[in-house]
Amino acid sequence: MGLGVWAIGLALALGLPGATWKQARPPLFPWEMLGPTLLAVAALSLLAPTLAWMVGPNLAQRRSLALLEAPPDLLWAGLLLALWPAAWGPPGVMGWLLAFLAAALPGEARWLAQAMPGERPFPLAWGKAAVSRVRCLVLARLWGRWIVARLPVWLTATLVLERILGMPGLGTDWMTRVVVRDRAGLSLWVLALALLWVLSQSWEGEAA
Amino acid sequence: MRTLLLALCLASTHLLIEAPLSAQMVEESLAQDPGPLDFIQGDSYEQWILQSLAGDALVGIAAGGHLVPRLADRWQVRQDGSILFHLRTDARYQDGSQVRAEDVIWTVQQLLQHPQASPTKRAILEGASVGSDQGRPWIRSPRPPGRLLLELARVPIAQKGHPEGGSGPFAFRKEPGAWVFTRRDHFLQPRIDGIRFRLLADPAGVMTALEKGWLSIGAPATRRQSEAPPTHRLVTQPMHAQLVVWSRVGVEPLRQLEHWRKDAFPSHLLGQNARPSRGLWPETLGFQPRSIDVSTSPSPDHGTLRLLYGAGEASVEKLLLALRERARRDGIDLQITPVEQGLLTERLQKSDFQLACSMVVFDPHPWAVLEYMEPRGPMNFTGWRHPQLAGLLSRIRQPGDPAWLDLQTLWAREPAALPLLDFQSVIWVDKRLEVEPSPMGLYLHTPGAAGWQWRL
Repeated sequence: MGLGVWAIGLALALGLPGATWKQARPPLFPWEMLGPTLLAVAALSLLAPTLAWMVGPNLAQRRSLALLEAPPDLLWAGLLLALWPAAWGPPGVMGWLLAFLAAALPGEARWLAQAMPGERPFPLAWGKAAVSRVRCLVLARLWGRWIVARLPVWLTATLVLERILGMPGLGTDWMTRVVVRDRAGLSLWVLALALLWVLSQSWEGEAA
Repeated sequence: MRTLLLALCLASTHLLIEAPLSAQMVEESLAQDPGPLDFIQGDSYEQWILQSLAGDALVGIAAGGHLVPRLADRWQVRQDGSILFHLRTDARYQDGSQVRAEDVIWTVQQLLQHPQASPTKRAILEGASVGSDQGRPWIRSPRPPGRLLLELARVPIAQKGHPEGGSGPFAFRKEPGAWVFTRRDHFLQPRIDGIRFRLLADPAGVMTALEKGWLSIGAPATRRQSEAPPTHRLVTQPMHAQLVVWSRVGVEPLRQLEHWRKDAFPSHLLGQNARPSRGLWPETLGFQPRSIDVSTSPSPDHGTLRLLYGAGEASVEKLLLALRERARRDGIDLQITPVEQGLLTERLQKSDFQLACSMVVFDPHPWAVLEYMEPRGPMNFTGWRHPQLAGLLSRIRQPGDPAWLDLQTLWAREPAALPLLDFQSVIWVDKRLEVEPSPMGLYLHTPGAAGWQWRL
């Protein structure tokens, strides 16, 4: 079933309709942004579970978290730009990373917290150590599925931040290939994401 | 411990801040990724800017629109119609090798033969042959020499075997997230140290960067054009750019649009960027305003017109909404439909539309309007043709020839397209930077950026 979905994605990329007026060459892949992107993904995949582990499933009901989650990426990037001192020059990779975490962390923490089972009466009745242990086990089981579900989104949805902050990365690359109708490049994107999915499936199988 | 914390703070501050801007580098932005620098395959507007900085064409066009020497310090039209170019002896590629006739021949042959070569450049050289005579390159083309020379200004010469190698006034290098050009020893004697382009696709991001002084040059938001910060000044330059509507349903809709464009657009929507077009062809290219010929028999009246336009251009959308309201006053239901740009281009190329509009940037010479009329012209989306066209074209040798008027009359009888708006570029430029505005923008003329300088 999953492979079928990826095959449809590949067919869509190869058969993308439309043309370009001036034939533009596809962009070079932004290899230099691969490191910062992996850093961002690593930070998020560490911070979100940590937050969920510390607060537990109740985190999903927190109004403060909903408030942080509500603003779109556009706002976080705009806020960062507005607050960034002019004398420092344009925000670099770390500025982008901060905006990415601000935009993504609340939503991801809630995603995890919502997926966690309730703690009343057990393991709450068994004490703090048991709660902590259960949360650890649950999050360890959830972590793989969560990464698999969200990784394509993280890799591609940074587009808004990249556009506003002037930091062309993976999101910009993906979007530019759509604009210039680089069907081969888009197919590679789909294949790479499909490969990640296949790898995660085998990993999931081993864990089970 | 305290020292360690201090060191950590300093290190993180260093990570947060990019390297300070060099005072002598011009900071610029690009709206789209131009792709890799490639003199054979590159063909977008952004790519033209890159090529104009890193490469030299045989001839250049000055800000005033006339031909000037570039790689060739002179040229002569020979008896057989070919143009012989006398190359400068001081033009060199980045590896120090001199620009020779073989490079010109290789570039032209690649543009004609490479399957992925720029369609625009290939169209310029269609039917051309190239060779050398005593070390001097010549080009022969079915086009009149006056046209060919002006068009060759858009064909920089690449180093033989190196499609990315140019002899231009700036050396190019790609940095993470930036396209950087640094001054090199060149016959145009560039006076700025270099230009650094960042990809800033979002207009709001450009605006913030301008206000914070991170950009030396940039386009402000329309409603804030007159509020330049103290560090910048407002520069306006007319452009060979128009918002054009094509019609597949005859002349009558264009005749109505010609009427509506006079009073449809409120001035606050136009800003300084645009004004209603007055003729059929761009006045900036030297054409007098000319109306659609009223003696043409009217085509059937349309109560409903469907107009496609490229989605994502908020300013164009507002103007088209104003046009729709103006049409409603005349009892016409003008239905405007946004279409993704790539899909719009495909529908234009397949003539799958009733009315369609798009922004057009013309080449800086009058022959550019032939793109509407020539059988395989890149803007002949309606299949326009006329038996008198070939005869008229053979009479046009130079800009300003009387046959241009006849050609315009021919088009005015049954035009397939009508411009709604003439655009001009409104930018903020660092007060310390001297630039030369032109209808081609700041880069595409000669000397272009090589003529800029910082005021002391």
